[in-house]
Amino acid sequence: MTALLELEQLHYRFPGSAEAALRGASLCLEAGQRVALVGRNGAGKSTLMLHANGLLRPSAGQVRVAGEPLVYTRRGLLAVRRQVGLVFQNPDDQLFSASVVQDISFGPMNLGLDIAEVRRRVVEAAALCEVRDLLDRPTHALSGGQKLRVALAGVLAMTPRVILADEVTAGLDPWMRRQVLVIFDRLVAQGVTVLLATHDLSAARRWADQVAVMEAGQVVAVAPSDAIFGDAALRRLIGADE
Amino acid sequence: MHIIDRYAYTNAIRELDPAQKGGLALIAIILCLALDQPAVGVLTLGWMFALAVLWARVPALVFGRALLAEAPFLLLSLLGVALSVSLAPLAAPAVQLGPLWLGSSAESLAMATRLFTRALGCAAALNFLILTTPLLDLIELLRRLRVPETLIDLMSLTYRAIFVLLESLQRMTTAQATRLGYSGPWRAMRSAGLLGSQLFLDAYRRSQRLQMSLESRGLSGPLRVLPLDYRRDRRARWIGAALAASLLLVGAWR
Ligand SMILES: Nc1ncnc2c1ncn2[C@@H]1O[C@H](COP(=O)(O)OP(=O)(O)OP(=O)(O)O)[C@@H](O)[C@H]1O
Ligand SMILES: [Mg+2]
Repeated sequence: MTALLELEQLHYRFPGSAEAALRGASLCLEAGQRVALVGRNGAGKSTLMLHANGLLRPSAGQVRVAGEPLVYTRRGLLAVRRQVGLVFQNPDDQLFSASVVQDISFGPMNLGLDIAEVRRRVVEAAALCEVRDLLDRPTHALSGGQKLRVALAGVLAMTPRVILADEVTAGLDPWMRRQVLVIFDRLVAQGVTVLLATHDLSAARRWADQVAVMEAGQVVAVAPSDAIFGDAALRRLIGADE
Repeated sequence: MHIIDRYAYTNAIRELDPAQKGGLALIAIILCLALDQPAVGVLTLGWMFALAVLWARVPALVFGRALLAEAPFLLLSLLGVALSVSLAPLAAPAVQLGPLWLGSSAESLAMATRLFTRALGCAAALNFLILTTPLLDLIELLRRLRVPETLIDLMSLTYRAIFVLLESLQRMTTAQATRLGYSGPWRAMRSAGLLGSQLFLDAYRRSQRLQMSLESRGLSGPLRVLPLDYRRDRRARWIGAALAASLLLVGAWR
């Protein structure tokens, strides 16, 4: 069976920066996995996610989606973005429209679907993220947790097979954090893979099947969460004992 | 900004097609300008007040306050029309202020009254529109009227950005204030300057992240989104007809 998303030996240096952000990072995701991505600030988690979605192009290495190498053309990128969705940490960076409905409809419209299908998807994604009753509200009247769920719905409306979520639980209260993880679990039950970058180690431990540890631009370990948190050296690396 | 926006989203005719609301306002404005009579201006004000308060259920106080905020500008510009200033003595009624004569005449007063009522009627019509129609819907209306997409995208992004910036502004001023950034006029000025540049950087970084997130959702050219659904009310036509008829009647009667 080919993996859903493969990142192989990615190297990347931000323009004008002396240090490489990624130095041979590799990660492989199968269908229906719950994976937490942990590592200290600056380890390269966000940079890795931007590569998986084709927003950044590695100087060396390869991104493969369902076995196919990513092609960096308009068509190729659209094909990847249909399969791999990216949710950003700050929903205000993602929500561009003052209308909740219109914002959620943006992704499916770009897929070239007809209006009726877009409408259907918007409602479905909104229901999944429990924001159906917010559809007619203006974006700026929403709370942080509501904005995040709308942003998530905007990504889900494209029906991706992999969701990359970059620290989306960071600004949420414990109850809302739970809600978001519940939404992720529903997706996983449908065969979607969720990769969640997080500094919340206890949530990572409880929620994830697999934990990937990043350090200095590399993925240094991927294993079931008990194995990661049972390893003294890894615990020290990610600061689990602080 | 916030208060107008709030009523725009919560009034009783929010769901009504913006074309209908815009149409009513347009009829009022065109007739107000074309007929150019004090009675028509006052009647327009009455109509718009009634529509906003009785139909859209915007509190009378809010409608009044919006109008009151505009009135000073109006009055100020009227002074120039109603009064004439001269170095030479003016015929009565006039007063002498040092070397200057300040006077007025029946004609210029009548002219000022006409201007004032005309502007008041138009302002009332615009207030009715913005208090009952969110900017979002107005932009949607322009989209339907085939205004170029680039312009539409700019407007919708700007509208959203205003609120995001307002939020960062609030956050930053609080952060500065807790560190005594506004104790004393000198420090306040410095803090405000810092705030401005910070805000600019903030907006710039945000625009870059927004670009990335739009791309990750398949951005290609103009921002394509679902058209919004509206309710069409048949009463709006009757209201429009009654509005036009009454204004024309009052206009013709003089
Ligand atoms: N836009 C950028 N320009 C230059 N360097 C950057 C940029 N974004 C990130 N970097 C650098 O790349 C490295 C990896 O950053 P990245 O944001 O991927 O880390 P991270 O693991 O997501 O950290 P955090 O937990 O703080 O979000 C860091 O050294 C960072 O300074
Ligand atoms: Mg990050």
